Amino acid sequence: MAEERRFRSASGAPIALRRRQHSASCRELAVRGPRLQLRSLSAATSAVWLAAYGLFALSENSMVLSAAIFITLIGLIVYLHFVKIDQESLLVIGSLGIQVTSSYASGKESTTFIEMGQVKDVVINEAIHMQKVIYYLCILLQDPEDPQGVSEVVPLFQSSKPRLDCLIEVYKSCQEILEQRKTAPQSS
Amino acid sequence: NSPAPLPERAIYGFALFLGSWFGFILYLIWAYVPETWLFSLGLTYWPQKYWAVALPVYLLVAVGIGYILLFGINMMSTAPLNSTHTITDNYAKKQQHKKFQEEAIPALRDIPISEVNRMFFLPEK
Repeated sequence: MAEERRFRSASGAPIALRRRQHSASCRELAVRGPRLQLRSLSAATSAVWLAAYGLFALSENSMVLSAAIFITLIGLIVYLHFVKIDQESLLVIGSLGIQVTSSYASGKESTTFIEMGQVKDVVINEAIHMQKVIYYLCILLQDPEDPQGVSEVVPLFQSSKPRLDCLIEVYKSCQEILEQRKTAPQSS
Repeated sequence: NSPAPLPERAIYGFALFLGSWFGFILYLIWAYVPETWLFSLGLTYWPQKYWAVALPVYLLVAVGIGYILLFGINMMSTAPLNSTHTITDNYAKKQQHKKFQEEAIPALRDIPISEVNRMFFLPEK
């Protein structure tokens, strides 16, 4: 079963959360950010080309125009492939682990898998980020020596930055699956 | 260590007052009195008058940069989102757990973030 709800990111952009339950102990939560807008792309391209035309008018060197076109193309490709994240998803499989996937606008997907033995908890933490205090979801990794300690913090949904209402939904879904670990410790 | 007035503090204050007036008058003489007059008095080894203008400018620019530098240092020393310093610190790790007594206010301690999250975000049924 899948359901999709609309929320807002920390900066006010509209995002959508999609929850899918694959089985009793497996859930997928995907946050989709807004697509690349045509108007912002046109605005950036026009600004670069106007600046290049201004430079050309000053310097009478036609290489400036070709360089501007080249820079625009390369910049767009680099932005779509390395910067613009369309969808971030979290796949929680009860006895196996947690998989975090980021899908870029060019189609590239980057995946990280954390096995359940390393996961201590999934919590909503608040921290200072760029002159603001934001809530963000993070996975706490277990410290092998100290059972109470946290060895590492893995922040999730870094580029879409959902607000607290969306994070609470994701948190509740994750906790339902993580609680099953404690009630059914059959594997060592 | 109270900030109340004391006789020694009055003396220090007056000495500083006299010293700062002396320094100011000396600075004005250095900046405004022509070099030839100073040479005729025998004061030939004073620094160039260029510095009478340059040093205040250096000072003001340093104050302006200090504002920006402090802002930047603050930003750099903020813990990143993936650091454990946002969750705990040395004092919290080493805290001792006091025993729970009935009918008494619980002792002050650092509550782990998992417990805080459960209390805030999971509704108790």
